[in-house]
Amino acid sequence: MNIATVATGAGHGWNVSLAICVRGLQRLRARPVLLIPTVVMPVFFVVSFTGAFSSLTRIEGYGTSNVFNWMAPYAALQGAVFAGVGGAMSAADDLENGFFDRLLLIPGSRLPILVGTIGYSAVRSIIPTTGVLGVAALGGLELPGGIPGLVSLYVATAGMAVVFCLMGLTVAYRLRSLRSMMIVQVIGFSSMFLSIGQVPIDFLDGWLHDAARLNPLTNVMRLSRQGFVGEMSWDLTWPGLVALVAMTVVGGLSALRALMRLAP
Amino acid sequence: MTVVIEASGLVRHFGAVVAVDGVDLSVDEGEVFGFLGPNGAGKSTVVRMLTTLLHPTSGSARVGGCDVRTQAGDIRRLIGVALQDAAIDPLMTGNELIRLQAVLHGIPRSVIRMRGPELLERVGLTAAADRRVGTYSGGMRRRLDLALSLVHEPQILFLDEPTTGLDPTSRQALWEEVRRLNAELGTTVFLTTQYLEEADQLAGRVAIIDAGRLVREGTPTELKATVGAPTLRVEIDQEHVATTRDVMTGFGEERPSRGGRVAIGLTEGATRVAAVVRALDTAGVTVIHLELDAPSLDDVFAHATGRRLEGSGDEQ
Repeated sequence: MNIATVATGAGHGWNVSLAICVRGLQRLRARPVLLIPTVVMPVFFVVSFTGAFSSLTRIEGYGTSNVFNWMAPYAALQGAVFAGVGGAMSAADDLENGFFDRLLLIPGSRLPILVGTIGYSAVRSIIPTTGVLGVAALGGLELPGGIPGLVSLYVATAGMAVVFCLMGLTVAYRLRSLRSMMIVQVIGFSSMFLSIGQVPIDFLDGWLHDAARLNPLTNVMRLSRQGFVGEMSWDLTWPGLVALVAMTVVGGLSALRALMRLAP
Repeated sequence: MTVVIEASGLVRHFGAVVAVDGVDLSVDEGEVFGFLGPNGAGKSTVVRMLTTLLHPTSGSARVGGCDVRTQAGDIRRLIGVALQDAAIDPLMTGNELIRLQAVLHGIPRSVIRMRGPELLERVGLTAAADRRVGTYSGGMRRRLDLALSLVHEPQILFLDEPTTGLDPTSRQALWEEVRRLNAELGTTVFLTTQYLEEADQLAGRVAIIDAGRLVREGTPTELKATVGAPTLRVEIDQEHVATTRDVMTGFGEERPSRGGRVAIGLTEGATRVAAVVRALDTAGVTVIHLELDAPSLDDVFAHATGRRLEGSGDEQ
């Protein structure tokens, strides 16, 4: 029997993406230490920020008097950035150690390699988000938005992981090194700080206010936080979704271009 | 015989560096083709172009009748590849990798459930199948890499320096497997190596590459015949090197050798060894050690390039 010609079509592409995603999770199971930056840092954020600024939300304008409700979505999104960069890091690691060649040798399109890696990052983002929510719940986190609020947080964090994974993949495919991921981490941190992560936009002055207003992550922040600071609202939902979709499209095209340049 | 790999004027630049400089070659179906050369000669770059991992800067190549530029996806269905650095994830087990490779190549689960254990048994890794690859020895990793490259039963197998760094026993085991694949399944094998013995043992035909260019091509027997005379190599004190060279070049053309040795191609064959020793004795040279070698692929390489292959007996 010659089975060399069975690999074709979209079904195969889907299976490849799924296999790459599952492989990432198998690696995490084999070496849970890989999860430390993804989980420990955002948990550290939520614990330290809520401890240091416990009275912050008593000021009018936060929309909640519970500091955990304000900080937990922010820390969860930080965790999602780590999860996204972590997915790209695994690709950079594969590039460095040669495993990526095995993926490049699959028959057909190379798009499933990209889809599998971002899928892995999105799934991976569930872990820090759940960790942050768990720790914040111990501190008194409330959920006035109910299940839809929770869903919108998970959607936002998965989307952020996808966006930063794509950004990381663009850099990894171009620079082919694990160290290059530092660039994306710095961008991730900076852009989160320049949003409404720490304080409402009305509290920001001058260029910080302008930066936060123009920063698409501000809309993602509102999407993720809305269920924790009040009732769910479509007006806070669609701008966040649009921002995520737009960043995913731009990041996807950029990463795909870098991949095709790496291995035409 | 059908040609399954052919390259014409294949060139690859990396910036200002010309890694491959106009390689022409053809490999017939069912052949074991040896691609021999030292480190940095361009072997792996040629393999990466033929396996669609790298675009040629210029020139053309077809694998299994498909163009490497325009039909790369089709080529990847036909080939199996075990690259120089066994591309194996140390955090995964042998079984997990076999299953992953099967999915990547679109093999149905029902098929791989039978085929996976067969492949692992074939390369002697059944007992280690559920161990993480990070715990495997170098030989085990190479054998797993070979098994992975066979998951989709490729018609053409590219092995890039498959035995580099392996102990003699592991090397022999891998050679046996390559012979078996070629004999039983008729798999065409394109094998790069820097080991002369490996090319000599396995390949029906050999191409020698140096500095990006093919310098010789033919069967090992044909190539050795081009060198002609056996090599007589004598080891002497450093002070006698010049005298020895003067005496010995009267019996044949000098060949490259390491310091403290002089080597010649003994024009009239082994029967002249006694005459050379007598002449050296008369010239007052004390011979510390003497060797007579039938022509080897190393001699072919030295004859073509003026240098010895790395890792072989003599280097200039």
